[in-house]
Amino acid sequence: MSALQKSLHPDEKYKAGKLGQSLSKIGMGIAAVFLAISVVLGATHGDHWKRFLYSYVIGWSYIFSICLGVFWLVLLHHLVRGRWATAVRRIAEAMSMAFPLVFVAGLVFIIPLIAGYTDLYYWAHPDAALCLEKTATGCHEYLNPTLVHKLGWLSPGFFAVRYVLYGVLYTAMAAYFNRKSRQQDETGDPNISEKLRIASAPAMIVYALITCFAAFDILMSMAPKWYSTIYGVSFWGSACVGGFAALGLMVLGIQRTGRLTHSINPEHYHDIGKWMFAFTFFWAYTAFSQFMLQWYGNLPEETVWYKYRLFGEWQWVSIAILVGFWAFPFVFLMSRWTKRIVPSLVFFAVWQLVFHWLDLYWNVMPSYDWLTSFHGGTQLVSGPLTGNTALHHVGFSPLDITVWLGLIGVLLVGFGRNLRGNLIPIKDPTLGMSLAHENL
Amino acid sequence: MTEPHTHDASGHDDHGHDGHDHGHGPDHDGHGHDRELPDGKLYGVLAEYDTPGELVEAARKVRDAGFTEFDCYSPFPVHGIDEAMGIKRTILPALVFCGGATGTLGGILLQWWCNAYNWPWNISGKPSWSIPANVPIAFEATILLAVFTSFFGMWILNKLPQVWHPFFRNERFNHVTDDAFLLGIEAGDQRFDAETTPKLLKDAGAIEVSNVHLDPDPESRQMPRWITAFIVASTAFALIPFAIAAKARTSRSSEPHIHIFPDMDFQPKYKSDQPMDLFDDGRENRGEITGTIARGSLNADDLFFRGLENGQWTTGYPTTQLPITEALLKRGKNRFEIYCTPCHGYDGRGMGAIPTRVASEGGAWQARNLVDASNPVAINMPNGQLFNTISNGYSTMMGYAAQIPHADRWAIVLYVRALQRSQNASLEDIPVDHRSAMQMPEAPIK
Repeated sequence: MSALQKSLHPDEKYKAGKLGQSLSKIGMGIAAVFLAISVVLGATHGDHWKRFLYSYVIGWSYIFSICLGVFWLVLLHHLVRGRWATAVRRIAEAMSMAFPLVFVAGLVFIIPLIAGYTDLYYWAHPDAALCLEKTATGCHEYLNPTLVHKLGWLSPGFFAVRYVLYGVLYTAMAAYFNRKSRQQDETGDPNISEKLRIASAPAMIVYALITCFAAFDILMSMAPKWYSTIYGVSFWGSACVGGFAALGLMVLGIQRTGRLTHSINPEHYHDIGKWMFAFTFFWAYTAFSQFMLQWYGNLPEETVWYKYRLFGEWQWVSIAILVGFWAFPFVFLMSRWTKRIVPSLVFFAVWQLVFHWLDLYWNVMPSYDWLTSFHGGTQLVSGPLTGNTALHHVGFSPLDITVWLGLIGVLLVGFGRNLRGNLIPIKDPTLGMSLAHENL
Repeated sequence: MTEPHTHDASGHDDHGHDGHDHGHGPDHDGHGHDRELPDGKLYGVLAEYDTPGELVEAARKVRDAGFTEFDCYSPFPVHGIDEAMGIKRTILPALVFCGGATGTLGGILLQWWCNAYNWPWNISGKPSWSIPANVPIAFEATILLAVFTSFFGMWILNKLPQVWHPFFRNERFNHVTDDAFLLGIEAGDQRFDAETTPKLLKDAGAIEVSNVHLDPDPESRQMPRWITAFIVASTAFALIPFAIAAKARTSRSSEPHIHIFPDMDFQPKYKSDQPMDLFDDGRENRGEITGTIARGSLNADDLFFRGLENGQWTTGYPTTQLPITEALLKRGKNRFEIYCTPCHGYDGRGMGAIPTRVASEGGAWQARNLVDASNPVAINMPNGQLFNTISNGYSTMMGYAAQIPHADRWAIVLYVRALQRSQNASLEDIPVDHRSAMQMPEAPIK
């Protein structure tokens, strides 16, 4: 063996054993406790579950985005014939197999939507496009020209169909890459790597499209009059920060159980950290691109989204995200040592996982406070028409945290179900290079 | 270490030939001398390895044997070789960081100096200094300087370009940018031994080990004259444009401009209003032919196209073409706000953005107050004259016939009339059932 190849250490513990079951049990415990608390809090909130469902969409987007991030590594690794990540690829594959459970968990807000619940997504209301303008002679009614064209796309039935489609496609892709990879453990057939490489290109395209549309549907349609074509890309950037942070923590957690202690070393953590750093910047780049074009263009229907976030109480959240999610980790993750010293990487992984949640919160929650008005006995949601941003409070609720933690529990169950068999692709032809991997 | 003509000490015949191979070729290394080699001091040994992996292993062994004066040569960066050779980490990242930070600050400083300090310029009332607008330039400047630092820093720290090195005399070294993985140990190393060192390299898996000797001619160890001459000459040439610019800025000349592209500066064509010999009137511009009218330009209706009725400014309105409707009034408002408000203002009082700016610069100019009842020039104008004013201008105002179609000009006339009425309205103008809204103690702000 040359210096660029290494074989698996003979004493290496690479079997998952009971690891998956234990993680699932922990996850179930967390999910049961926190979701139970959330249900109680949601029921007593006195707003017909509105706050609960808002928190739920944020928490769901969070666990969904982490699956997105780790699955992207799997796709990319095959697409570019990567080497370093072979040692951690099986763990990423197993994590991405949480997709089906995540999409089942999302039914909590999809089912009410189909059943006619209109407080979560205001476009679900039959009169969503109707606007009222107070004039001297009374109320002037008109249809919002932006929204009226979107309502065909944003109808609860079609929305639910797309949701199911996303879930099926993500699950099918993740399952295919898992199954083939585990098949290679048995047969050692190098052609499987080649097959996966060929499959990864169309999979990447499908992944990119459905990720974009999922972000448009589930998050951007919270403010249905507003639009930004880069929104999906920006969400994905944020998702990958979370995905790589979660992968780093998962790998470390597995090593703490005495498994994979010889195979995965600071070189691999370093590369996970590099991706975290890259996406921290990528997210900031896309988020700023979105902001700057709308800020410069200065069109009311676009700037209103930022008006809600950059003034009043929300401006402090915006500043916190700018500093916490970008500036601080950007400056520190730039250095080599912060990514190679494992406790330091863990600190930044946890830090970014918290701020990734805050970023999603900041995306969704300002839509919660839209003014409602009553007209002819029907509640009309008139959308963000008030110019007074002081009316808009951050309005933090314990529900936000309990739902978030509960859904993280669900995600851990999803991870645990698939951490079985070999934790490393033992017969992958590039494993030797991954084990001997050294950064320049 | 100093003996000349020493062949490879490890006793393998094939190694010894290497030096001789160099010798019989005339001038393959470009030094321009035909001479017998090797005959200089022993510079070091060069070992070739088959794969980058073996090179890394060999480097580790050489390092462990205590050598310090050695280097590895490969066509591409080899992962892990820094650690194997035991060399310190480069300071390049720190330099790149400093370069990038200089770019960020420099980019922001440049924009502040240009936009906010040296030449502040009012563009649509936007602030002359605003951080978000500066981010793209600051970002690009960061990338630019970081990349420059990275690129040139790499060259400088690697002491590149290196035009002469003793190892260049080895034939295999020519392949180091192609397929050769070489490790060279200098004879100057404290641990170097002419016998054991090549053996160490061979034992580490070398496929070939050869001694490399210095060229006996000290001239050959210097940079070739023509390179020095080229650098000096090109630097001098590069300064010429700056010298010319500097001279032009400080001196006067009666000579005409230098025309670098005369056929672009002097094109064989006529521009508007130039004299021309071809026609009797000596003009290049050809007007409409007398007695003809272009299709669709008859414009026979005096009222609609010129605002005239029996040769007088009309006080009526071309209702045949334009029935007066709310939609027409709104169209007039829309056109007025596009074309008229920059000078006349939204309320028609003559203090639009331009007069406001003039005032802010210490000047005093304002457009006609269209709604002033105390000086009712515009109020008293007949509709036809208002129309004509929009079409052909009035005093310093330019005509807008080219920009605004006839119907839109009439719509503006309609809106100006509405504006004049609303700006001079009394309570009686308001419908009875709405008057109470105006008399509320606190009028609601829309």
